[in-house]
Amino acid sequence: MGLSDKVEVPPPIRFVLNWGRKYSLWVFNFGLACCAIEFIATSMAEHDFIRMGVIPFAHGPRQADLMVVSGTLTDKMAPAVKRLYEQMPEPKYVISFGSCANCGGPYWDSYSVAKGVDQIIPVDVYVPGCPPRPEALLQGIIKLQTKIQNESLKQRYSAEPLTVEAG
Amino acid sequence: MTPEEIIQRLVAELGDDVVESETSYDVATVTVAPARYADAARFAKTTRGLDFTFFDFLTGVDEGEQGYGVVTHLYSPIHKHHIQLRTVVPNDAATLPTMTGVFRGANWHERETWEMFGIVFDGHPNLVKLLLPDEFEGHPLRKEFLLMSREVKPWPGAKEPGE
Repeated sequence: MGLSDKVEVPPPIRFVLNWGRKYSLWVFNFGLACCAIEFIATSMAEHDFIRMGVIPFAHGPRQADLMVVSGTLTDKMAPAVKRLYEQMPEPKYVISFGSCANCGGPYWDSYSVAKGVDQIIPVDVYVPGCPPRPEALLQGIIKLQTKIQNESLKQRYSAEPLTVEAG
Repeated sequence: MTPEEIIQRLVAELGDDVVESETSYDVATVTVAPARYADAARFAKTTRGLDFTFFDFLTGVDEGEQGYGVVTHLYSPIHKHHIQLRTVVPNDAATLPTMTGVFRGANWHERETWEMFGIVFDGHPNLVKLLLPDEFEGHPLRKEFLLMSREVKPWPGAKEPGE
């Protein structure tokens, strides 16, 4: 991004750039359990998150801006999630969708289930529910878009950790 | 064939190695000595009249002090009758002869029972982990297996599981 990771771009330009980014989120659905069905329902005609610029046609993590981890993450699957997250190009975002991805959900005391996807990768938005309704995912996407709109490009494109609050 | 007749056929073949037998819900449950477990399955499969050619599942049960139970459910598509072959191995010597020589499909079931309960199947061609990660230690479906989350935080429900 040239200069934008060295200096803060002026607010009007930042607004335009962030506005463009937040409405073209190529999404990669990491479907692990029943929550993935709710994700699919959200992408279909009734709820239709494409109207919000969320595009569910990413061919893989290398073409995606947003990863939605929907479902039960087991310890055995965890390395794969981390690897695919690392393959995504910056800037990248993660939505943890459903109780299992948030904290282990009903399997919190299982021998095989990870205690939330945030144990291995950073998560931007958590959507609670078991499984959450499609409206909940839409709300989570709006939260993420608000976050992207208020982001500092300098922080986002530099190696510093992101500290922007949703406004 | 009725469950009682099935039990009679197995007792006639195996004699005192049939430790216990019962019928519930029209299914015969026959408990045999661990050493004859695979033999019992072979007899049930190959004997005319029994013809238990369909291997449904094999799994383990932690029965506490008594040892580890192993249950195999067999079905006959010809006669449409069922049998549960059961055996109990002691806690300190959980070893059984493999059933893969009788039913090749028992391979994965025995691997899973081995990793979950620590029951060793002698003669199994490839007794390695099936579902668990390679670095996993312990046998998680044994009741003695400690769940770390439970150690850190007590069960939050009003009743204990199984209560």
